[in-house]
Amino acid sequence: MALDIAIEQAGGDRAVIALTGELDASNFTTLIEAGRKLHADGTRRIVLDLTGLSFLASSGLVALHSLIRILRGEAPPDPEEGWGAIHSLEFDVSGGGVQNEVVLVAPQAAVDRVLERTGLKRLFRVHEDRSAALADA
Amino acid sequence: MIETVSAAASKSRTIEIEAHLERLADVRAFVRSSCAELGAADDCVVDLVQAVDEAATNIVIHGYGGATGPIEVTMSPAADSVRVEIRDRAPAFDPMSFGEPDLGSTRLRPGGMGIHLIRAATDSLAHRARPGGGNILTLVRTLGRREEED
Repeated sequence: MALDIAIEQAGGDRAVIALTGELDASNFTTLIEAGRKLHADGTRRIVLDLTGLSFLASSGLVALHSLIRILRGEAPPDPEEGWGAIHSLEFDVSGGGVQNEVVLVAPQAAVDRVLERTGLKRLFRVHEDRSAALADA
Repeated sequence: MIETVSAAASKSRTIEIEAHLERLADVRAFVRSSCAELGAADDCVVDLVQAVDEAATNIVIHGYGGATGPIEVTMSPAADSVRVEIRDRAPAFDPMSFGEPDLGSTRLRPGGMGIHLIRAATDSLAHRARPGGGNILTLVRTLGRREEED
């Protein structure tokens, strides 16, 4: 199944990205690129709606991390520099962990399991529906 | 493009693909359909889809490193478990040579997460050199829900 990325402006400096399909090593850079464009247009906070995402690979975690970095105005990984450069990135979960740039909506069980098993869930606020996430973003 | 799906009398099933990231979705679909035939619980299906995807991704990116070559995935029943063998012709590479990520650290590296996810999703994981060149990675996962996940 391919990955579909649907983007909606949500007022102010917020946007919603809804992912449908599977986020893997073949397509994770498209999500990073979407984040770059949104940041260039003024977006600083993203509600990432995972309702339709049925699979999240470890490469997708790199994309989530990249979104945070991009929205902070930090250098995102450059896919042209290869996988090694991406591997050298680190999540900074110090200082309480939770970041404010990306809020998650409704991860399916398979996706939630990946976030839990990698310890990354503690980076995100997670809401059951989009409206609750928007109120929190 | 190479692709074969075969089913022997033992209910063993194999898919062979060329090592391209664009084929990962086909591998995942194969794992799902094979799990259904083997009677795996949803919990097992989710884990094996994750583990095989991460292993195949490692082979494409680290094993062949931009070159191409075959990846074969064979799934077969083994008592109350599913046994998955993933074979390639890439230079010998043991994914378990990666250390475990320190999930308690304040600095988490996503690059170490692939092998961590394979370990977390399976009951056993073994690597051996393939006769004639290449690697064989064997994953075993119980068909049902694991107690430690309750």
